[in-house]
Amino acid sequence: MAVKLSCKVKVKNALGLHTRPAAVIVKMLQPLKSSVYFTYKNETINARSIMSILMLAARKNSQIVITTEGEDAELAMKVMVRAFDEQFGEK
Amino acid sequence: MYLVQDLYEQHGKYLSLELIAGRQGLSRRIQKPEVHRPGLSLTGFFKNFVHARLLIFGRNEIDFVRQLDEKTRFQRLQRILTSSTPAVIVTNLRIPKELIETCEKKSIPLFRGKATATSLLSRITFLLIEEFSPSVTLHGTLVELFGVGVLIQGESSVGKSEAALGLIERGHRLISDDVVKVKKKEGCLIGSGPELTRHLMEIRGIGIINVAHLYGAVCVRPDKEIDLVIKLEEWDDQHFYDRVGLDDKFIDILDVSTPYHILPVKPGRDVVLLVETIALNHRLKGMGYNSAKEFNAKLLETIAQKRGKKKIGS
Repeated sequence: MAVKLSCKVKVKNALGLHTRPAAVIVKMLQPLKSSVYFTYKNETINARSIMSILMLAARKNSQIVITTEGEDAELAMKVMVRAFDEQFGEK
Repeated sequence: MYLVQDLYEQHGKYLSLELIAGRQGLSRRIQKPEVHRPGLSLTGFFKNFVHARLLIFGRNEIDFVRQLDEKTRFQRLQRILTSSTPAVIVTNLRIPKELIETCEKKSIPLFRGKATATSLLSRITFLLIEEFSPSVTLHGTLVELFGVGVLIQGESSVGKSEAALGLIERGHRLISDDVVKVKKKEGCLIGSGPELTRHLMEIRGIGIINVAHLYGAVCVRPDKEIDLVIKLEEWDDQHFYDRVGLDDKFIDILDVSTPYHILPVKPGRDVVLLVETIALNHRLKGMGYNSAKEFNAKLLETIAQKRGKKKIGS
């Protein structure tokens, strides 16, 4: 069953959403089936696209709304929230 | 939401604006992309007067205000300048003190501009229309082939970027990869890339490349009207793909109906060549020739002739 979830997260790593975190996000989403979107400053983008994530140029402490939709939406959301929390392994 | 401050900060230099009074009102909202010269309203005719418009006082307006007696001058200005007036711009003239006082009292930003009223009017209208035009960010790759703007869409990893790279290699142009900002201007869709990732592409297995540096300035451009949309799709045996092309399909983007093609992808199908062919065929249609329809007309004619012969023969 397709579920749609959304959740607000904060960018915690010092350098913001730069190329390495973007690559981590895309890699984490690869095995998942749901559609995942990030909304930042009225701009909604596909989180599976590195270029789109980079375009946001989100700095530390910016608020991003994650939306997941699809059969494994809950898992996708869990994975994303954890990734933001763990600062994409950049602590 | 667009504020007077935004207009002042972004375009103040271009319009050579100088803030004279009403600094507290810089946070006023510009509600309409309209600029007005209040000529007639200054004479006391207020019917159909729209308060939410930005006002420009040119030589005519200022001269007229000057020759009014002091009381009327105040009255008329009070009536024209209200809480919804975003800002007032006066051309390069001496500004009557009543105007400055009223603006200061009501916190309406008052600017002096160097250009003539007509020039300011057209330039500001153009800027505001641009700012107020509806826009959307789409996932896809925008390229220009033979002068036709083609937006290639499809799921992640279906091969949009690879197709675009192939097209660039053949001498076509990239506008933006992956993220396309679309604005509706006078019924047309104008696509451009975000400033930061402009002319960059991400190719799986290679990484991020800068196309403008790799292939030169000739293979990129900043923006382009979107003439058609091609959706790349994994080949699905269950789906019946268009085999004749008699019916045109359309997709709505910002309420603009745009020609739409679904292009199934599978090994052995040269996507680059197919996209080129769709673009060329689109040009041909634009010139008034529709291959499928022309052929069908010819076929119908041939059938009709055969029927005629049969009748004569029988």
